[in-house]
Amino acid sequence: MQMQVEDGGQGVFNIALSGRLDTPGVSRVETRLTAQIVPRGARAIIDLSQVEFVGSLAIRMFITIARAAGRNGGKLALYGAQPPVAQVFETTSLNEIVPVRADAASAAAVVSS
Amino acid sequence: MRPVFEIHFAGTLEAFEQAFAGLRLALDAEPLDAGPRYQVELVFEEIVANIIRHGAADGRRPDVRVSLELDPDSIRLTFEDDGVPFDPRVCPERAPPKAREGAGGFGLLLVHRAASSLDYLRTAEGHNRLTVTLPRVVG
Repeated sequence: MQMQVEDGGQGVFNIALSGRLDTPGVSRVETRLTAQIVPRGARAIIDLSQVEFVGSLAIRMFITIARAAGRNGGKLALYGAQPPVAQVFETTSLNEIVPVRADAASAAAVVSS
Repeated sequence: MRPVFEIHFAGTLEAFEQAFAGLRLALDAEPLDAGPRYQVELVFEEIVANIIRHGAADGRRPDVRVSLELDPDSIRLTFEDDGVPFDPRVCPERAPPKAREGAGGFGLLLVHRAASSLDYLRTAEGHNRLTVTLPRVVG
């Protein structure tokens, strides 16, 4: 599980994840991802285009980070999910808590509003 | 049903990761479409993670056995563990996340949505045996 962070401009971090967000993958990335977003109440968008698998632990991670970031004034949105990953998001109604968008521009618009 | 994969491993994160890699390798050799393949991996992930997280009896890691069988129309995953009794058929579907305080509980929802049937047996040896059948074609 790889994680790359870029300053997307206008105070928005663009975080690209790649690999598998199964139980081992989440255990490798959760602490780093949380530290990047939550303490500073960051506005962040997460690029999932290179994530080939998402399970329920990843759903829980995104919800937990989004809620904690929100308490610190931050916002989180996800984008670029591959079709099977998007199906998992739909089944779990993730979009009700963490905005899920098709591309970076629309995800950035959500966290910038 | 044609058996294509069988594994026995300790209920640890490290063994889980190795078993998952073995499953993916076995799936690579099968002419399975991307949709059903994802569902197989998702069911494996959710059921095994659940066993490891909640199945420990008296602080002892559960032993886990998993087998995968295929036929032209369906896929069967069978999980057996010696952890605490747990029948996932009776787990109710959860409300959407916004209605809940916690952030978890999605795993069995995903399994129920993927499966065409779930069968559970507490064996005479005191093991959980769960059989999850999936359609070979995902609509």
